[in-house]
Amino acid sequence: MMGHEAVLALLEKALSYSKAQETDIYLNAQDLGLSRFAGSAIHQNVAHSNIVLNIRSVTGKRLGRATTNDLSDSGIRKAIEAAHQNALLMPEDPAFEGLPKPDGAARVYSFDEATAQCNPEVRASIVRGVCLQGKEHDLNVSGACRTGVQETAVVSSHGVRAYHAGTFAGLIINTMSASSAGWAKGGSWRLSDIDTEALGREAVSKAVDGQEPVAIEPGRYPVVLDTYAVDDILEALSLYGMGAQAVQEGRSWMNDLIGQPAMSPSITVWDDGSDSHGWPVPFDAEGIPRRRVDIITQGVVNTPVHNSYTAGKEGTVSTGHQSYFTGGPIASNLFMQEGVSSLQDLISSTERGVYITRFFYTRLAHSKGCVMTGMTRDGTFMIENGQITHPVKDLRFTQSYVEAMADVEHVGSESKLVLNEVGFATRVPALKLSSFNFTGVTV
Amino acid sequence: MDDFLSRALDLAAVKGASYCDVRLVETNQERFVVRTGVVDTLSNDESLGVGVRVLVNGSWGFASTNIVTAAEVDRVTDLAVEIAKASAQASSGPISLGAAVKSQGVYTTPVQVNPFTVSSEEKLGLLLVADERMGSVKGISARTGNLIFSSERKTFANSEGAHVEQTIYETGGGIMATARGSGEVQRRSYPQSMRQQGCAGWEFVENMDLAGNAERTATEAVALLSADQCPSGTTTLIVGASQLGLQIHESCGHAIELDRVLGSEAAYAGTSFLTTEKLHNFQYGSEHVNITADSIRLPGLGSYGWDDEGIPAQSTPVVERGRFVGYLMSRETASGLDLPSNGSMRAASWNRIPLIRMNNVSLEPGNWTLNDLIADTDDGILMEMNRSWSIDDRRFNFQFGTETGYEIKKGKVGNLLKNCTYTGITPEFWNSCDAVCNEEHWTMWGIPNCGKGQPGQLGHTGHGSAPARFRNVQVGVMT
Repeated sequence: MMGHEAVLALLEKALSYSKAQETDIYLNAQDLGLSRFAGSAIHQNVAHSNIVLNIRSVTGKRLGRATTNDLSDSGIRKAIEAAHQNALLMPEDPAFEGLPKPDGAARVYSFDEATAQCNPEVRASIVRGVCLQGKEHDLNVSGACRTGVQETAVVSSHGVRAYHAGTFAGLIINTMSASSAGWAKGGSWRLSDIDTEALGREAVSKAVDGQEPVAIEPGRYPVVLDTYAVDDILEALSLYGMGAQAVQEGRSWMNDLIGQPAMSPSITVWDDGSDSHGWPVPFDAEGIPRRRVDIITQGVVNTPVHNSYTAGKEGTVSTGHQSYFTGGPIASNLFMQEGVSSLQDLISSTERGVYITRFFYTRLAHSKGCVMTGMTRDGTFMIENGQITHPVKDLRFTQSYVEAMADVEHVGSESKLVLNEVGFATRVPALKLSSFNFTGVTV
Repeated sequence: MDDFLSRALDLAAVKGASYCDVRLVETNQERFVVRTGVVDTLSNDESLGVGVRVLVNGSWGFASTNIVTAAEVDRVTDLAVEIAKASAQASSGPISLGAAVKSQGVYTTPVQVNPFTVSSEEKLGLLLVADERMGSVKGISARTGNLIFSSERKTFANSEGAHVEQTIYETGGGIMATARGSGEVQRRSYPQSMRQQGCAGWEFVENMDLAGNAERTATEAVALLSADQCPSGTTTLIVGASQLGLQIHESCGHAIELDRVLGSEAAYAGTSFLTTEKLHNFQYGSEHVNITADSIRLPGLGSYGWDDEGIPAQSTPVVERGRFVGYLMSRETASGLDLPSNGSMRAASWNRIPLIRMNNVSLEPGNWTLNDLIADTDDGILMEMNRSWSIDDRRFNFQFGTETGYEIKKGKVGNLLKNCTYTGITPEFWNSCDAVCNEEHWTMWGIPNCGKGQPGQLGHTGHGSAPARFRNVQVGVMT
């Protein structure tokens, strides 16, 4: 970890090397420790440190880019010059309004010293604990435990000066018997927030209860989706349509639906990078504060998120959602409003349906309506007369996620933070849907 | 730089490592992206770093850094040893790597024209012409084009005496047109979805002729808006070469990764139905199905001199006349089967450990011309160019969507079809294959975005394929 002063000193020096009209530099640094286990033993155990400078250089309405992790004077100068030369090669873009100006300070506290200092022994101890939980039930346990520090900073010739250091921790557990599997996942910016033993129990119980599943006929069923499955839906809706670039290019599920009540009135979704109940990142790769954006309110589709470029095209302001150095804006700190039903209430309200722990390998089948296909995995059960009665073999679905959100009948009262590997986080409750389209079953 | 490698090997031995390998990697990349008349990205990206992997008391440790100095190399070597010792808290016992690896040599991807010697103006100009031609077609709402060029200079050394240097060149590009209208959104890509990529030089882009195919690509996207919907049912399916490349990748390539079979990827990418008792004892496909995994067939993206354990590039039969006969293996996993590694370990970067990755996993050509195959098909659908892909965690149940489909009626190509999908169970599907087209129709496709591992790694794989015919396939799966 470099620290606030060292990061800004490095970036100020780099900025001084630029002779372009406008320049900004986005620093992304990560110290990661990750212990991967399978067969109840650690088989991959790694650490890495990397510091990357992402440089944008502007001449008129031309923008060039370069990245480097060579932090020597010569390495930085070379990258600065490459970005400048790339800008000179570009044709002018009339819609480009220049790099963004400073837009206020954005600060969120999400640094935990114990998480930052977590060593391989601590991670190994956690792994050993969950492996022992599985061993008591003759389950094969696999997964990953990770901890680390992420530093991000942006400086620009317009005066943007932003720095944030946050920690992260995550534990994934997969349990398997000869005929079943279970799953649990926890994440936070504080390792101590993760109840590793509870996650172990959760994963073990799914595998124990899921043994000897039976195949059911594909077709439409009511479903109760656990939080991991709801995370998949929200992530897909984000990636395939909540960014303004996708809307402007006409390939978003939001096209033709903005202002429309396309989802159940019980569905409210927003993005907020400053909420410490998520995985907070206070500003984006342009140094713009990540504003709260109400994307869906009581089922009505409101607005996508913006970066400075997409905002400029519409005469509005950036919402601070340029999540990465390249590509369009992304809503990556999503929240879904909780309801009033417990998970048991959701199951009890189902006469005949399917309980789904999570989805796997979901991909966009059609952009209109965000039609996705994928599999259930790691704990799929039949619900009959309001009770889970038996495990079922994993099912393939082909389903519009927009229509799925229109079919939401009840929303769980407890939400869970699901922290994904690349900094994408959702805080979501469980859901009960009146209908979900299963199109196949696996062997 | 060799001093740093020796330093790490020596220090690891002093610290008690029974094995150590070190990779010093420098990557240079040029990226060009044009979106609907605007240059979205013109970027030069450089990355340099060193990774140290050690085996201590039968457990692995790995650490890496982007600061390539003697002090940092010492620090990460120490850290790798410390991590390995921690791994021993949850260990499954001693690890065997088989016979010592002492490879020596130098390898460079053969290229006709080094892509970094071609000016950025020429590269950008090519994309802008293609973009303009796509934009000339009425009904196109968005268009994209991209080019990518990379060189990776890698030096590998291990404590058994291996020392190899490689420079791998990659070149790729592609275009895509999106049409929107009448409540429908459709797209067409060329040469394949996202881009075609290979271990090759600038000549690879010239051979694609992106500009020459731009107007046709856009016209086909618009035509799809008013095309017939793919019918639902069971029919004869001819899978085009590009789509079949991804079918091979998902249903064969991942299934033969021995680390998946042994459970190492269970919590993330999944496992495999091709368990070890099936080796030489399982009819994976029909007699027409012959699949090879190699790291030597250029311009396949899985072509190299040595893998990241220093094992020389080679070719391995995977499926012979339908019978399953081979895995992709590392030294450790191969040793468990009393086999030698076939050189399939690759890391995506200096800061990632090597994993078993597909190299060039290809369906060998058959004897048919595509015209003859269509003429021989009474009733069916020809589907081509991937639009969506999904498969279960054991690689059984798959579903693919394609950009286009064409009816085949009484041996002739009929109407254009949109929203085409097909689904099946892997061994049933490959056992239903009754014809594969010949070498004239065979292309080596490149997939540069194969995800695996934690932390995530994007692998680059090659897949040679020609159109092939499958009987009794379920098609037209939509909501």
